Amino acid sequence: MLRFILRRIVGLFFVMIGVSVITFFLAQVVPVDPALVALGQNAREAQITAYRHEMGLDRPAVVQYISYVSHLVQGDLGKSIRTRRAVALDLRDFFPATLELSFAALVVSICLGIPLGMLAALRRNSLTDALARLVALVGGSMPIFYVGLLLLGLFYRQLRWLPGPGRLDATIHPPTAITGLYVLDSLLTGNWPVLQNSFAHLILPSLTLGIFSTAVLLRMTRSAVLEVLQQDYVRTAHAKGLRAELVIWRHVLKNAMTPVLTTIGITFGSLLSGAVLTETIFNWPGLGRYATTSVTSLDFPAVMGVTLVAAVLYPLVNMLVDISYHLIDPRVRTN
Amino acid sequence: MQQKNRLWHYLRLPVVSLVLFSLVLTACVAPAAPATGSTNTTAEATAAPVAAGEAASREDTLIFAADLTDLISLDPAVAYEFGGIQAEGSFYETLVSFDAGDPEIKPLLAESWDVKDSGDLWTLTFKLNPKATFASGKPVTAEDVVYSWSRAIDLNKSPAFLLIDVGQVTKENLKAVDAQTFEVKLPKAVSPQVFLSVISFTIAAVVEKAVVEANKGDDMGSTWLNDNSAGSGPYVLDKWDRSVGITLKANENYWGTPPLMKQVIMQNTSELANLQAAIETGDADIVQDLGAEQAATLKDNPDVDLVVGQSTSLTYIGMNATKAPLDNVDVREAIRYAINYDDIISLLKGSAQLVQEIIPIGFLGHTGNNPFKQDITKAKELLAKAGVAEGTEIEFIVPVGTAAGGIEWSTLAAKIQNDVEQIGLKLNIKQVQQSELLKIYRAQEGQMVFINWGPDFPDPDGNVTPFANYEAKSLAWRNAWNSPDAIALSKQAAAEQDPAKRTELYKQLTELVQHTGPYVLLYQPTRTFGVRKNITGFTYDAVDTPSISFWLIGKK
Repeated sequence: MLRFILRRIVGLFFVMIGVSVITFFLAQVVPVDPALVALGQNAREAQITAYRHEMGLDRPAVVQYISYVSHLVQGDLGKSIRTRRAVALDLRDFFPATLELSFAALVVSICLGIPLGMLAALRRNSLTDALARLVALVGGSMPIFYVGLLLLGLFYRQLRWLPGPGRLDATIHPPTAITGLYVLDSLLTGNWPVLQNSFAHLILPSLTLGIFSTAVLLRMTRSAVLEVLQQDYVRTAHAKGLRAELVIWRHVLKNAMTPVLTTIGITFGSLLSGAVLTETIFNWPGLGRYATTSVTSLDFPAVMGVTLVAAVLYPLVNMLVDISYHLIDPRVRTN
Repeated sequence: MQQKNRLWHYLRLPVVSLVLFSLVLTACVAPAAPATGSTNTTAEATAAPVAAGEAASREDTLIFAADLTDLISLDPAVAYEFGGIQAEGSFYETLVSFDAGDPEIKPLLAESWDVKDSGDLWTLTFKLNPKATFASGKPVTAEDVVYSWSRAIDLNKSPAFLLIDVGQVTKENLKAVDAQTFEVKLPKAVSPQVFLSVISFTIAAVVEKAVVEANKGDDMGSTWLNDNSAGSGPYVLDKWDRSVGITLKANENYWGTPPLMKQVIMQNTSELANLQAAIETGDADIVQDLGAEQAATLKDNPDVDLVVGQSTSLTYIGMNATKAPLDNVDVREAIRYAINYDDIISLLKGSAQLVQEIIPIGFLGHTGNNPFKQDITKAKELLAKAGVAEGTEIEFIVPVGTAAGGIEWSTLAAKIQNDVEQIGLKLNIKQVQQSELLKIYRAQEGQMVFINWGPDFPDPDGNVTPFANYEAKSLAWRNAWNSPDAIALSKQAAAEQDPAKRTELYKQLTELVQHTGPYVLLYQPTRTFGVRKNITGFTYDAVDTPSISFWLIGKK
């Protein structure tokens, strides 16, 4: 187990190097000067030269890369060309919002997708099954921006049941930062008004972001359960005279969870990276919006920072999934 | 019994998680209910006890929503973007200022000033207002002014060229004569008129020396000033949350008329649909830059007023005067006569005004004279005179994305291509990123480019020198248009002290550039604000710094 984790971590290291090389040299191919983007058309030549020098853009690409990597090894992500701040500081400001949103969306999709998928499989071809499949079809095919606008239009602008875009009402101050996740922080500090407000703000965006993964999880659960139901050991269990509930909980669901777990892992990765649209619609100050602005202003240290965060998170989540296989499935352990 | 327990053993996890999930769902709908009341009526919200974590009540708070993505600094010596300048303009004050809607310079920190010709230099002497104090309660002194300007020159960030290049200010020429008297000497090439406009901008804002020095760190306090303010303005910086926006708090020691709102929140909202929703629901009191579509929807809203503000920028086409066939003055004039300006203005649906001269509306020297109207016959005659063959091709470089006024650059470009085709010229549209276009343009390599220009400071010279003076290496240079007459006139006008004579010089120059220059000037964009009906005292004036005076805004 330990060797397995170590191997994964070493792998992660190579992934990071690969990602940084690719991102860095892609940025060099773009025929645009980040200094021009940052300073605009009114800038004098002298200013542009000074800016390029300050940001180290006047050095050859290879030198820039080596200096970048040598800083990176020391945990320094460099300085953003656009905001002129340490990228790590920017990420600290923007990443928690994305993490909170993705977690919430994952909770939504697990709580809706898995139970619905189970029900649909167990009552195959019933009305419940048809409804669940309809949910999966609609959820899987509706564009995120449409769902988001629809939910906002209905619950915020028309009914006024839920607050609008943003993580908090404008007049409410964020809770003392511990994790940067408002719901968690306000819970930890016992700040109830902020907890209520941040929770209410989280509902619509997490539903919007979670609806697609709900559909994926629902389908996955349904087909996995159906497949296990056909297995010999299920028939044997029934033949032994085991009560139906026990067969389902003990034999069917547990075995069906392995592919579902894989899907959860993949889904979480895509939630993190797919939050851009949801963040835009809900004015959610997350990494997606930071990345978009950074890309359009060719702020390569910032883009690298975002890419590296994603490059670390994705394998990390997959590693966690792999570890959980070990825990729930003895067959993986013996292999 | 045994079996029942085992059943529970397997069931408890799903059952408990389902129960928890439904609890959570109910919990999240419940707190939303009171929110309904507070968004509907502000009175109700203020009647409710102030919740923990809420600094000032909604009634005492002005919420201003705008796209603040460009915000990178709140240090007046560094910021050169709308969001930063708008916020800083409430924290810091300059020696002189404009009043909204009035192009005449007014006193602010300086109660009076005079300009003396001292041989080879101008000497400008400012008498500071003895009442002026910083938020700390300490008086604003000439020493603070010298420190602030020297600091801006030393830091040498984006806006510093205004002092260094435009004003040609050197640290040696700044002097605190006594606590209330500040003196600056300028070379004769600098127009004192232009200089007074330049120092109404935040680059010349006065910071409190003692406070900044105490927190200077390794960057003269720039980093510290992003999270703190050290000025004499009506508001102080409460908090800049990089991902959300800026909170401004009323300066309790303000030496002038106290601001009306206790708190101003500048909220970063970049989506047009969100701006519209925020003003409809009253979640925001003022929203900036509504699109034509949003404005049309909000027109009949009984709770919202639409206020149209004039920008200072101009959208134009640059034609390189050395690249055939545009090297011929008649061909450039023919293109100006080929375009149907009325169609362009109607495409922009009220978000722009027709302007065909290099000085925008609102500036001294603007003539309001638009001599060009589509005249295909005349344009064809001019082309024939120039001897340009039918079907001659011209490369037209157009940025991707949205032009000022909220319309795609490509839509406007296609319209122009179509107009120009009628006189027998073929425009080949090439779309590139704006930054790539700038690279081409700055290298004098564009044949015909489509772009926007905004002046660096609120004086006609901020446009005239770039557009007319080839030696300034700005727009005239980028279009390779070297006209000795235009250069001489632009220098003469900048130096002229008498406003009437200056206006006359600009009129001559405007006409010269209009007919012989390398530009087709198309329009001056406007920006549309949504303002709740209960808001008083809102004005937008692009000439003034900041363009919106938050401290004059109140609620009925």
